Amino acid sequence: MMKLFRRFVSDPGILSLSLLKILFLILATLTTFSAQVQEVESVKKKELPPCCRKPSPATGFSDRSIYLLESQWTADTGNRVQLGALKGRPQLVAMFFSTCEYACPILVEEMKQLHRRLPEALQGQVDLLLISFDTERDTPEKLAEYRKKNQLPVKNWSILTGNADAVLELSAVLGVQYAKMPNGQFSHSNLITLLNANGEVAAQFSGLDFSDDKWIQTIVGKIK
Amino acid sequence: MNNRQAWAVILTVLSLFLARQAVFTASGSEELLNHGMVLIPGGVYQPFFKGENDAPQREVHSYLLQKYPVTCGEYLEFVQANPKWKRSKVIRLFADEQYLADWKNDEDPGIETPGRLNQPVTWVSWFAARAYAKWKGMRLPTSAEWEFAAQAGFDSVDGSGEPAFVRDLMRKYSLPLPEIFPQIGQERPNFYGLHDMHGLVWEWTVDFNSALATGDVRNDTGINRVLFCGAGALGTVDRSNYAAYMRYGFRSSVKASYTIRNLGFRCAKDCSKAR
Repeated sequence: MMKLFRRFVSDPGILSLSLLKILFLILATLTTFSAQVQEVESVKKKELPPCCRKPSPATGFSDRSIYLLESQWTADTGNRVQLGALKGRPQLVAMFFSTCEYACPILVEEMKQLHRRLPEALQGQVDLLLISFDTERDTPEKLAEYRKKNQLPVKNWSILTGNADAVLELSAVLGVQYAKMPNGQFSHSNLITLLNANGEVAAQFSGLDFSDDKWIQTIVGKIK
Repeated sequence: MNNRQAWAVILTVLSLFLARQAVFTASGSEELLNHGMVLIPGGVYQPFFKGENDAPQREVHSYLLQKYPVTCGEYLEFVQANPKWKRSKVIRLFADEQYLADWKNDEDPGIETPGRLNQPVTWVSWFAARAYAKWKGMRLPTSAEWEFAAQAGFDSVDGSGEPAFVRDLMRKYSLPLPEIFPQIGQERPNFYGLHDMHGLVWEWTVDFNSALATGDVRNDTGINRVLFCGAGALGTVDRSNYAAYMRYGFRSSVKASYTIRNLGFRCAKDCSKAR
């Protein structure tokens, strides 16, 4: 082998030169190709929240489905979506705002706990959805920061922001009371809604303490 | 500056002011002709119910409000032009089973009954009221706007100082629901020329679901705490204002798809034109 190599180097004939060139070319092509493959895979691997995946082939919505609302929302990932994209999987939903100092962190923590306490088989079936009241300050970027800070996995949490009309309509449908305060905070009901796979309100939990197992039993009962 | 000059200046300022007022009123009445609306000049409104952190007063900007609640006749035109709001077509999410319950069918509110078309439309949901307003190029008033206009008496912007008005208000709110609703505009109008703000039907407001959201974000906005507990009443500005008390309680207990026998609406509009 070394002999052969030395011969090539010591004898820079036309043939060996072209061979080297070909070798280089092959190497270069291989490198670029593998880089491309890696890139494609990384795009594939960039997971989107449930709201932004390809919706299940919709066969229309039931008469009581909140997915009938045609309002447009923006996810923290920047994707423009309609709520109907969530059809097919039950959702635990709460309305919140990211600069909320007291109730919302508890509310979000309670959602995490509720989800964690579900039987393992159901955990993978139920998604979580947060929708902001704060149409001005909760930009997709702010919500992305919120996701990071609160460690809400992209795998099952969707976080949305919309315009004032969309927020009003959704809050009206869910029965969430809210009002903007002069200090920019929002006063609101602390309400977690369970939507079934069709987007119908299956159950609602009001308050900030869901430690009782009856809540879990309700969720399990409603989505089975 | 001598006296004469001073007078000239004063007169000029005065006439300019009057001219401006005249333009203001003229465009206001133009609106009235177009939409049956009256101008409610802005002012300061003391919310009847508020949380600890709320400002004691809220500013209401000038706006236009319909003189009367929307009638069955007007609503009939709406469903004819927008078939998806017909009784048999409406989506349940947007109106419950009782939607237009007192209509004979999709396109007959009961026309053979004399005066029926001039009765206020009821059994309509918040979504329906909103859709109607949008179709007409208007909107629903906010609770603050509605309450601001409703606190006017017969002769002034604040009826609480008019014994005759307060007596009339109490009489109206204590009446049971009539078998058949009277037609609109039967009672004496208030200071702005608005009819039937009290005593005929309750009315939807666009932010009806803010009635119980108080300034204290730490508490759940439960009706028990804020409306019916003894302590809850301390949150109110004027505890003798039972009429407002009833309206807040009512708004906080309805949902957007609810339709109710004595719940109708009237429309509002920004008055940028009149400015």
